[in-house]
Amino acid sequence: MSTGTKHPILIVDDEPDVLFSLKGLLRHDFELYTAESGEQALEILRQHTIHVIMTDQRMPGMTGAQLVRQARTLYPDAVLIVFTGYADIKAVIEAINTGGLYRYITKPWDPDELIDVLQHAAKRYDEHAARVRFAHDAKSFANDVVQHVEAGDLNGDDAAAVKPLVDRGRLLASQADPFL
Amino acid sequence: MKVLLAEDSLTMRQLLVSQLGRWNYEITEVEDGAQAWEKFQESHFSLVLTDWMMPNIDGLDLIRRIRASDHVEYVYIVLLTSKSDKADLVEAMDAGADDFLAKPCNPNELRVRLRAGERIIELEHTLIRKNKQLMAAQAALVQSEKLAGVGQLAAGMAHEINNPVAFVSNNLAVLQRDVQSLMKLLDQYVTCLPVVEREDKHLANQLKTTEAECDLPWLKENLPQLFRSSLDGLTRVRGIVGNLRDFAHLDQASTDKMDVVAALESTLEILAPDLRARQLTVRTDFGDSLIIHCQPASLKQVFHAILLNAVLASGPNGALEVAALRNDSSVCVEITDHGCGMDETTRRRLFEPFYTKRPVGSGQGLGLAVSYGVIKQHGGSIEFESTPGKGTTFRVMLPDSQRSC
Repeated sequence: MSTGTKHPILIVDDEPDVLFSLKGLLRHDFELYTAESGEQALEILRQHTIHVIMTDQRMPGMTGAQLVRQARTLYPDAVLIVFTGYADIKAVIEAINTGGLYRYITKPWDPDELIDVLQHAAKRYDEHAARVRFAHDAKSFANDVVQHVEAGDLNGDDAAAVKPLVDRGRLLASQADPFL
Repeated sequence: MKVLLAEDSLTMRQLLVSQLGRWNYEITEVEDGAQAWEKFQESHFSLVLTDWMMPNIDGLDLIRRIRASDHVEYVYIVLLTSKSDKADLVEAMDAGADDFLAKPCNPNELRVRLRAGERIIELEHTLIRKNKQLMAAQAALVQSEKLAGVGQLAAGMAHEINNPVAFVSNNLAVLQRDVQSLMKLLDQYVTCLPVVEREDKHLANQLKTTEAECDLPWLKENLPQLFRSSLDGLTRVRGIVGNLRDFAHLDQASTDKMDVVAALESTLEILAPDLRARQLTVRTDFGDSLIIHCQPASLKQVFHAILLNAVLASGPNGALEVAALRNDSSVCVEITDHGCGMDETTRRRLFEPFYTKRPVGSGQGLGLAVSYGVIKQHGGSIEFESTPGKGTTFRVMLPDSQRSC
């Protein structure tokens, strides 16, 4: 856990006992939201920013794979995980192959392994967010450079715009390393 | 072919013995019906050549006894007699004789009639063999239909069982972690006792009483173990459900690589309760990289059938030996028990479908019959050695890859 704040994660399962059990396990490490159905899950996703979604596959009504498909479109940044028993593996493989599913976890799960997987998923969210941020910063830097060059105010020894741009450029270059 | 010769006249008997000997029969000769009946009960004869008029038990009486006995295989009986009436012939064949020769008989006639008898015996052997094959095929079919049913049941149940096992395991893990924190907190509170003593003796005494009642040292020492063993128990349940699922997929019988040692070990795990109930120890001797191409689910069933038989044959506190070694391009699995062993009848009928020595309801006698079929399908072989009172060893040879045969 590198950051001070806990990642918000959403657990979806039709069995309240499973949700309660997971609350007990994960409350220290994550900011936990729970839902007993796909519909409830989508409602929570509308109201809160969620970094990781972990859902049971076999649920009455919307299945886990169906929820994953919808979440992928509506909330593309969230990292998606499916719980499954052996018999559901075909649906899960399809979800992985059509893109979007990060991992599947078998039931019963190993508690330590589960925390591990969720922490990796949260880290993945962070890395993705960092990439997006970097891309925005790089884009706005590039636009600003172009603007100044076109305005011609980078010439001359005391061009006030030069130093901040140079600083920003150096900063961005150093931030690029983790992505290379 | 073995022939039992009953003839009270010495000269006639000697003559017949020399003739039968020339025709390559294996002869057991007796002087009368009583001796013949004794010999017949000791071991099986496919051919019986008997005189009619003999002291003690006469020919017809002997024939009636043979026919009344519940021998599985057919006995071809030729009656020799100096009686020549048609009525006598009828009486003899009514009693159960297959053929009737008047003495003194033409040697060639005797030879060809005995040969006719041999043909009938051979026909019967072929029939028995084909019957066995048919029954084995039927048993395999019945078994696979049953397993298909079990498969569906198990697949459905597995999910039902996995969910509660999942959250119970998880709850225990959480409890284990949180009780540890509580213990730490408790330890810190305990250090406050001297302070409480100073401020409020009554409260301090209450605390000491409560601590004595809940036996804090016992809790600290044993609660962690309670959690550990509960978690272990659930791991075992998970393993059992997993093994059950493997067995249940027998109806799909897919081909795959299989680690023979892992298969034997998981089968032994399934039988762990039976092993414990009889306090049996298992000694293993496993070679390396015993991976073969086969139908893993079917072979696991074979191992289960043989191991279960070994367990049931063993007395309390016995030992089983399970070995698996490489043998050129095949793997040899040996399972030995030191139990009751098998008598001659059991040895003969071991792979016969529905043959079982177990009490009604505890197994229909299909395990080894199906196993035989599975091994044959893999192009392997299955043999055994057994001594009553000493034990039995099963030897299964499995080629590295399935060859049809």
